[in-house]
Amino acid sequence: MKTGFNFAYLDEATKRMIRRKILKAVCIPGYQCPFGGREMPLAYGWGTGGIQVTASIIGKQDILKVIDQGADDTTNAVSIKNFFKRVCNIMTTDRTAEASLIQTRHRIPETTLNKDQIIVYQVPQPEPLRKLEPKEKETRKLHAYKEYALMHVKLYEEISQFGSVIKTWAYPVETNNRYITDPTPIPKFDNPKMNNMEALQLFGAGREKRIYAIPPYTKVKSLDFDDHPFEIQTWDECCSICGSTKSYLDEIIINNEGKKNFICSDTDFCKSNLEKNK
Amino acid sequence: MNIKKIMHVENLTHFYGNQIGCKGINFDLYKGEILGIVGESGSGKSTLLKCLSGEISPSAGKINISLDQGGVKDFLSLPEQEKRQLMRSMWGIVHQNPRDGLNLRISAGGNIAERLLNVSEKNYSFLRNTGKYWMEKTEMDPDRIDEFPLSFSGGMQQRLQISKILSSNPQIVFMDEPTGGLDVSVQAKILDTIKSIVRDINVTMIIVTHDLAVVRFLTDKLLVMKDGIVVETGLTDRVLDDPQHSYTQLLTSSILQV
Ligand SMILES: Nc1ncnc2c1ncn2[C@@H]1O[C@H](COP(=O)(O)OP(=O)(O)OP(=O)(O)O)[C@@H](O)[C@H]1O
Ligand SMILES: [Mg+2]
Ligand SMILES: [Zn+2]
Repeated sequence: MKTGFNFAYLDEATKRMIRRKILKAVCIPGYQCPFGGREMPLAYGWGTGGIQVTASIIGKQDILKVIDQGADDTTNAVSIKNFFKRVCNIMTTDRTAEASLIQTRHRIPETTLNKDQIIVYQVPQPEPLRKLEPKEKETRKLHAYKEYALMHVKLYEEISQFGSVIKTWAYPVETNNRYITDPTPIPKFDNPKMNNMEALQLFGAGREKRIYAIPPYTKVKSLDFDDHPFEIQTWDECCSICGSTKSYLDEIIINNEGKKNFICSDTDFCKSNLEKNK
Repeated sequence: MNIKKIMHVENLTHFYGNQIGCKGINFDLYKGEILGIVGESGSGKSTLLKCLSGEISPSAGKINISLDQGGVKDFLSLPEQEKRQLMRSMWGIVHQNPRDGLNLRISAGGNIAERLLNVSEKNYSFLRNTGKYWMEKTEMDPDRIDEFPLSFSGGMQQRLQISKILSSNPQIVFMDEPTGGLDVSVQAKILDTIKSIVRDINVTMIIVTHDLAVVRFLTDKLLVMKDGIVVETGLTDRVLDDPQHSYTQLLTSSILQV
């Protein structure tokens, strides 16, 4: 380890403070706990909230995986991984099944997470009601009193205008029959994975200085109407690399004529699936 | 027949600093009744209505309310959450300016849906059908359900606000000069609509106005206010036809002169 840094970069007092907030967040599933966020050697919008959460819970034995949009090899994911290698001297992996700690932006891995794992989400905007109610004081009341009508009005408006709910990512959920929670900008395809997940789910928002959590085996329900039930995205195509029909697919344009191809967004899943099918 | 008392008001008083808002108000409100509050400008009508509807906390006095469920409650000591919940479904305020009661960023149907969603099951067709039903009842074109409030005229916005409030089948509706800001011809039509609906659904209502024609037309009982106090109260026809207090006599004679 490089000298001049404490283990995991943050000083012990800060880590303890953040851990206390995490414990509180776990006790009140889906509730946004304010925390005294620290400046990180990274600009807001690059996962500073997630990094602080990860830094507070990571141990020497942990094996870390970092993904951005499902991929382990993007610049952002690699730089976060390198940061933790440098300040913790820990092992990292691309393999979802091998990781004990996964920090993510915009995806949940396709491989089912288990009870020995923790997933940390980077959160750009923790408040699901923010676009509907700009005042923080009022949104806190709406949460406290469980006054969530506006949230369903948003869905009502989309169905009225477009025939169905068009929101495809950051699709709001109700956690443990209580708090409406922003699942971060994951595709709604991933929402069902949050329900009853065996792994602990932690969410860190750096700019807004909020931490929230979904404990293992917690009910997470995507908002909908009885007569317009929630549905995930589906594709007519399969992954052009591994042939998967069960994973979230990214559309890529592969030549100048605009020919499109579909490939798994989860690169580790795609690789494993390909090997398995060989 | 046993008519249920749903509100009991005792010695209700509100001061703005040293300025009297309203003072020593007493009355009972029964289910299905329409109570009018009249009086000249500055007599305390809005202050009284705001105290009754929880918008301001009075300096003194008592308000007991009797809900469909839950028995008699001391309204003034209800926790904020319960007051908000009352306002969101079981009670309703129709503001003079419809923009104070509508969310301008959501459609006409969305505005009605928001009110219903505070109480109803999460069913889109139900919200849709109820929205259209109430637009029709308030003589709006239900085909305009997806339009935004700002695309409606002032009179239509007021009709939309009334639709929204009535859609949740409220126990008490509060209206403060609901047609105050509108053209006279539009006012008359909306009052017609209000009258036909309130008789139809048997709603309980407290309405503030300084228009005695509205009072005659709409209300069962009347409070006449002057300088913050109630100077006369009784059945509307009795008060208008046989006013006892000199101020009420002046008020009713002035309308005859018009
Ligand atoms: N926010 C306030 N601060 C101080 N004084 C107020 C306030 N609101 C009302 N008042 C005063 O309280 C008294 C009663 O006012 P209120 O608005 O209740 O009368 P009103 O009968 O509704 O009049 P109008 O017919 O003009 O609406 C008036 O003397 C008024 O100036
Ligand atoms: Mg007034
Ligand atoms: Zn694939």
